[in-house]
Amino acid sequence: MSVMSPQGFDGLAPVKATAPPLRERLARGIFYLPIIFMVLFFALPMALTVVFSVFERTMFWMEPGFTLFSYENFFFSARLTNFLDSMKYSAIAVAICFVLGFPIAVFIRKSLPQVAQHRVILLFILPFMVSEIIRVFALRPVLQRNGLVNTTLQDWGVINEPITALLYTHTGVVIGEVLSFLPFIVFSGFLAMEAVPKHIFEICDDLGVGTWRKFRDVILPLAAPGIFAGSVFIFVNGLGVALLPNILGGAGAVNAGLIATQAITALDFPLAMAVSAIMMATLMGLLYIGHRLFDLTKILTPLN
Amino acid sequence: MTDDFANPWLYRLKWAYMLLIVTTLMAPVMYVMYISFNANGFGANEYVFTWEWYGLIFQDQLLLGALRWTLSLAVVVTLIAVPMALVSAKLYKQSTNKLPIVFLMLAPLFVPPDILGSALLVFFKNLNLTFAWFGDLLGVSFMDGWFQLGFSTAVIGLIIYTIPYSFIVILITMGRYRSEQTEAARACGADGWRAFWDIEFPQIRAGVFSACSFTVILCFNEYTRTSLLKGGFDTFTTVLISQMLNTGMSPQSYAMSSLVSFIAIAVIGSIIVFTMIRSDSLSRTARAKAAPVMST
Repeated sequence: MSVMSPQGFDGLAPVKATAPPLRERLARGIFYLPIIFMVLFFALPMALTVVFSVFERTMFWMEPGFTLFSYENFFFSARLTNFLDSMKYSAIAVAICFVLGFPIAVFIRKSLPQVAQHRVILLFILPFMVSEIIRVFALRPVLQRNGLVNTTLQDWGVINEPITALLYTHTGVVIGEVLSFLPFIVFSGFLAMEAVPKHIFEICDDLGVGTWRKFRDVILPLAAPGIFAGSVFIFVNGLGVALLPNILGGAGAVNAGLIATQAITALDFPLAMAVSAIMMATLMGLLYIGHRLFDLTKILTPLN
Repeated sequence: MTDDFANPWLYRLKWAYMLLIVTTLMAPVMYVMYISFNANGFGANEYVFTWEWYGLIFQDQLLLGALRWTLSLAVVVTLIAVPMALVSAKLYKQSTNKLPIVFLMLAPLFVPPDILGSALLVFFKNLNLTFAWFGDLLGVSFMDGWFQLGFSTAVIGLIIYTIPYSFIVILITMGRYRSEQTEAARACGADGWRAFWDIEFPQIRAGVFSACSFTVILCFNEYTRTSLLKGGFDTFTTVLISQMLNTGMSPQSYAMSSLVSFIAIAVIGSIIVFTMIRSDSLSRTARAKAAPVMST
């Protein structure tokens, strides 16, 4: 390649650095459109739930005012017990997902060649691409009295009587949550393990460190932000997806999502907004704690 | 290397465990597919293979109408959400303060469907009432229908739901693109659009197309947000759930669920196969470049 001197252009002025034309400035504005959209239709409605939650309830709608009746309605009724219960079962689901799913993320990062890792992760997207409705509803024929699990176990002679506790109970909801959200702990664990380079395992092996100690002292501290993000995701969705208790749960299996949608069906809009505001506060609180403890921005390092 | 290769059986056992988990996750769907081919429906003693239920889907006007609505929703959402995700991924790459952008784009992932749906429902109803009131004040009526629950509100809800997924997918593919190429294009006199369309886009095309197919599939599958924001019409999942909850699963709904799952799996399966073939050919080219034949 040859470099031309400015004199080579006989009288032609070199390209001037002028202000960008109007078209380019407009084009630059387009970059901010999605941000404006998300602020208007996502951040604003979520923030306004707090405002609407203190409005007065009317027959079919609500009117501006200030009352804490909706919060009273939530905190001094069976709703609070249901909410706390669903927190407990959601936490159990998180724990099961972690125990079942995180080792997979470690295995993929640690033992598979680099090129194969992303392909194997794609396997876990497969179930996620089937409608959650179909997956959750399909659990009914699988778990019910004469369903797949019971008939198989009876055919094998493991049990004599069908297990009825699998469906329309809290157990059913937890099973549904685990099967719905397990891929997410694999994804977030996979991202988190980016922070644990392969050679660290080799160092541990050279030192002859046991599996448990390797997990507790090396993997866990390094991968904590990603694990935390995945766990919060599962926990919050366990609280907020009404479909799971609706289809798999029995009496008493009510979570925040179900309380909110039931309030909307009953035209009690301020209550629905109060539940949404409480859920947002729970989510923000968890994310804030996580951010203070582990600096959640570290998860994004692989993206940069 | 690690202990896994020293102990091949442990390695195989871990593989088996992973495949077992994937199979367990897919088992309910497979079971639905299995039932959908049974002439006697669910729970029958005798299994007779049939295509009958699949034929009946295409005579069910309710389901067909719902499919049309769902398809148009999916297409409109994809046409808006994917370019938005692309633009914001580019903004993310350029900006110095990345946190607000990434927070806004990824936060919808963490908001459960029923909560987002309820919040948007009340927000849109209030907006609609405000615009109607404002219209009355001005003496005009064209604003009365703005933000009334319907197609457009469902589209907005679905865009918010799908945009984080497209954003992540596109951002990951952009990670492989080196911005020096854009600088080079600009230095050669190309305007911003041309530098993007001729130089950058061909390299991130795979990501954009994957984002499109993800968005279509997510729209097809989504129930809660659509049902809360859709207004009058019915989508595939709302028809399915009303059948499930009111009359129980009919053999047709098993067939319909299986059909949609088949399509989703086929689309994702072909993306997986495509990326495998592509990465193979890419690594072959990379190898060829790494060890060039010394000809001159």
